[in-house]
Amino acid sequence: MKTRVPFHEGLFEDISGKKALVAAKCRQCGQIIFPGREVCLNCQGTDLETIHLSRQGKLYSYTIVHMPSEHFDPPYAVGWIELPEGIRIFSQIRGWREHTLTTGMEMTLFFEKLWEEEENEVIGYVFRPSESGGA
Amino acid sequence: MKDVAIIGAGSTVFGKLPERLPYQLGAEAAQAALQDAGVNPKDIQFAYCANLYGGMVIGQAALGETGITDIELTNVENACTGGATALRKAWWDIASGLYDIGIAVGIESMTNSPIAGKLIPPAKGDITGELGMNMVAKFALSQRRYMDVCGVSLAQIARVSVKNHRHGCLNPYSQYRKELTIEEIVNSRPICEPITLLQCCPATDGAAAVILASGDLARKYTRKPVFIAASVLKSGDYSFRWEDVTFSDMTSKCANIAYEMAGLGPEDVDACELHDAFAVNELLHYVELGFCRRGEEVRLLEDGATELGGRIPVNASGGLLSKGHPVSASGVAQIVELVWQLRGNAGERQVDGAKVALAHVIGGEATGLESGAVSVHILKR
Repeated sequence: MKTRVPFHEGLFEDISGKKALVAAKCRQCGQIIFPGREVCLNCQGTDLETIHLSRQGKLYSYTIVHMPSEHFDPPYAVGWIELPEGIRIFSQIRGWREHTLTTGMEMTLFFEKLWEEEENEVIGYVFRPSESGGA
Repeated sequence: MKDVAIIGAGSTVFGKLPERLPYQLGAEAAQAALQDAGVNPKDIQFAYCANLYGGMVIGQAALGETGITDIELTNVENACTGGATALRKAWWDIASGLYDIGIAVGIESMTNSPIAGKLIPPAKGDITGELGMNMVAKFALSQRRYMDVCGVSLAQIARVSVKNHRHGCLNPYSQYRKELTIEEIVNSRPICEPITLLQCCPATDGAAAVILASGDLARKYTRKPVFIAASVLKSGDYSFRWEDVTFSDMTSKCANIAYEMAGLGPEDVDACELHDAFAVNELLHYVELGFCRRGEEVRLLEDGATELGGRIPVNASGGLLSKGHPVSASGVAQIVELVWQLRGNAGERQVDGAKVALAHVIGGEATGLESGAVSVHILKR
């Protein structure tokens, strides 16, 4: 069995068995920064708290890519997800064949295999269209 | 600060030139610029050379072919803004009084690059890059949002490509010299939806060069110096401050600084070369550069204002879409084109009576930033 490894350190963590995106929130200016930082990129304040980002967001924009990238064969979908915290996250989008993507639709966060390399299964965040009713 | 003028301009023909090595392209452009200026290579005091994929000390290799050696020579990389960065640095070296005469070169051979045939990715290990971002996807995301929120159609966006390819037919330096229809553009194969192949600039090989001199010295070489009225370069701000992906804050800020520096406004611009890497970019840049208000950009295009013969012809050279986009060369190539326009020797694509011209490039992608770098130059005769 392959070892599951995160695609980058510090972007997400397990909280009571469930993974969540980790960001930093500046206690001085309120700015939320993802990936998190020790120093606020907005005001250079050093008093930051660790927060976990929402699992629901809105599809700000999307594209279906028809050329290969380093890790993905075409076609694949990527997009910007706008979170209630007021930030946009760039992400792979899954489930786009089953649900037609539309700007503004509700999206849900999942953690899944992004790609495989040698003995590792590389895990990262993806967003999928939320099931009707916004589960 | 000293006045700085461009006294020589040269370019290779743009296209697929796999048999030409990057340094050879650079040498040809530099030679043409030297010849145009009537400057002895021994008189060149300094050089900047922009390049992304050509390898070690390419500026030395290129300029060594033309007799320019034993000087201060700096190689620069700034993605699509590389060429404009070389120009900006050369401008400052003369404006500051450090030197009197120098050369700025931009060189790129995409067919001889490690990413030939691929989409340009960010640097290795970049987070968004690893997740599948590339330069087309970046602007496809802007275009999707623009179409959905502003109600602009693909056919309306494709008209930019129609216009610039029509202009390209008139330019012997252009990679493509063929008219396209809206149908051909919309129905060409998808690259990153909704961007299709013919809404994209091609992969291009080419180089361009300009000779710069202090105002006093310039008049000894030419009766038609073209002055640099503004030279501005900015890096991208954090994307958490970037409110709307259909409006480039970087371009808007950079243009405003440039207009202030030149003491001119958008209404004074007679000819413009802007960064039409993708058709949609040109429409959005009309607004950011102040040529029209938001929501009027499609009308500006459809009314023919930005076509040759219109109020403000944009990308009379064919732009990146038709003339081609050798990444680091484009920023210098735009200046070469505008120098020819201001001197009145742009041939069939001449913008009649052009006195003031503006060049704009933007590019580069890194996680967490709006974009890498943007530059605006304003030239006047």
